[in-house]
Amino acid sequence: MRTILLVEDEFGIAGVLTVLLENAGYRVLSAGNGREGLQQLAVNRPNVIVTDYMMPLMDGAAMARAIRADPTFQDIPIIMMTSVREDIVRQHFDGYTAYMRKPFQTEVLLDLIARIAE
Amino acid sequence: MESEQHSQKLERVPSGISGLDTILQGGFLKGGVYIVQGVPGTGKTVLANHVCFNHVARGGQAIYFTLLAESHARMLQHLRPMAFFDDAVIPDRLYYASAYVTLEEQGLKGLLDLFRHEIRGQKASLLVLDGFVVAGLTAPSEREFKKFVYEVQAYAAVMNCTVLLLTSNEPGPVRAEHTIVDGVIELDDRLFDHRTERGVQIRKHRGSGFLRGVHPFRITAAGIVVYPRIEVAFASPSRRDQPPLGRVSTGIAGLDALIGGGLIGATTSVVMGPTGIGKTTFGLQFLARSRQEEPGLLFGFYETPERLKVKAEALRLDLVGLEVSGAVEIVWQPQGENVLDELGHRLLDSVRRRGVRRLFVDGLGGLIESAIHPQRISRFLSVLTHELRALGATTVFSVETRDIVGPTVQVPIDGISSLVEGMMVLRYVEAQGRTHRVLSITKIRDSAIDPALQAFSITSAGLEVIGPFQGYEAVLSGSAHTPPAPPEGR
Repeated sequence: MRTILLVEDEFGIAGVLTVLLENAGYRVLSAGNGREGLQQLAVNRPNVIVTDYMMPLMDGAAMARAIRADPTFQDIPIIMMTSVREDIVRQHFDGYTAYMRKPFQTEVLLDLIARIAE
Repeated sequence: MESEQHSQKLERVPSGISGLDTILQGGFLKGGVYIVQGVPGTGKTVLANHVCFNHVARGGQAIYFTLLAESHARMLQHLRPMAFFDDAVIPDRLYYASAYVTLEEQGLKGLLDLFRHEIRGQKASLLVLDGFVVAGLTAPSEREFKKFVYEVQAYAAVMNCTVLLLTSNEPGPVRAEHTIVDGVIELDDRLFDHRTERGVQIRKHRGSGFLRGVHPFRITAAGIVVYPRIEVAFASPSRRDQPPLGRVSTGIAGLDALIGGGLIGATTSVVMGPTGIGKTTFGLQFLARSRQEEPGLLFGFYETPERLKVKAEALRLDLVGLEVSGAVEIVWQPQGENVLDELGHRLLDSVRRRGVRRLFVDGLGGLIESAIHPQRISRFLSVLTHELRALGATTVFSVETRDIVGPTVQVPIDGISSLVEGMMVLRYVEAQGRTHRVLSITKIRDSAIDPALQAFSITSAGLEVIGPFQGYEAVLSGSAHTPPAPPEGR
């Protein structure tokens, strides 16, 4: 079973995406901010990381930079899903695999994850 | 012992919202904590975001936390069309994050720690918590909740970070947390018959004066616009009153001759009469004397600028040329649900912007119809006209009377005479099978006026005074008749 690490601070969005991903056959690991995301990585290795940008304590870009700097995890695909403009995201982290601007159609995200997780 | 007096002025953080800083008398206190309350849909989120974007545009740093509010993506999507929105400042200057999970897992203590971490880490000078009511519901006791608010306030003060706590509490009773915070701002959206009007009221602003009472506001494409109530905002005119500025021609030579050369400068007059009698013609002739150094303004409600220009052309008045040269501006108010104070501010802004000296408001009914509380009108007009005088504008209001012909003149406002220096009544009179137009000058303050009723006509040259309307009595009843012949032999 493919594993997705979902890093999202907004309770409602995280809940809906978790249900959709689980229904699509994924195992979902959840984290409410970048710091928790890194803690999850210490014990689980996901196939794909789906992360928000703006979150408390540690943002998605800071987490992603830490992941890319770690040889153990640097090859894990990262999908950045955020309200932040892509050109601004790139100024902070340009090593993402895919970018999705919120709000988006969940089907589009699921298709993207399916393609990347293969 | 030498003593030193320190004059400490409280530093302000302007909201940058038109009108709101006026009623806050300069803005929020730097490092102050404010509750912004109102039921859902009253505009709290738009207001707080507008403040945030204005704040970062001036170089500040802001964080917007939510607790079980709409998603950030949806919220930003709704805000994106508004003029203040600038996604270039997100996330570096303005950062959105949810604090709900922290509150759920770690309670108020965790929420407080989060605020401290983010204020310090992001060097925030403004923090918004949208969904403050949820924090209150999570508190184990009222005492704990007050303690939380107290600690937020203490930290905000130390860090010079202004905090807005948005809550959907019902307006009204004073709550425990109100005693701690520096200010309470209440938003509402009131229903009056079939009409609604948004209002903002400052309930508390510690260490600062504020304009009391409810002030209307709108949510526009530009964001929030507050219209401080005219009666409070201009309770004292913005400038010292000007001494009488000499005579200002009405543009009607025959009338000027009857009132000592014209209207007294920087005064307010009304020209009253039924529909079609010539009030707008009067106003157009008055404005036709405008020049670049004596600018005119037509503030109209009923006839569109296009129609007014056609009308002026028929009277051989070059309204188009005056407009092109900048001597006259036409500001037209579409008939809809206008807000009285919005109109008042628009009028005063238009006068102030161009230094208007000749103002024709066509007509007073447009202002009256916009008033949700008609009992405000007299005081509103009193303050408005004081301000217009202080600005040096010679103002003529047209006032439509109800009956076309009749013994009484029904004016849509009580006590109008005490509000103005000049009153002229235009009437139809029926006599010997014909309708005549008659002008009576009821009042021109500090002037000798000719009390005789004057016949006038409207021709292609405009309104012309013909001369005394003689040979009839009971003229003002609307049905004049010739006096009976004296008995023979007397």
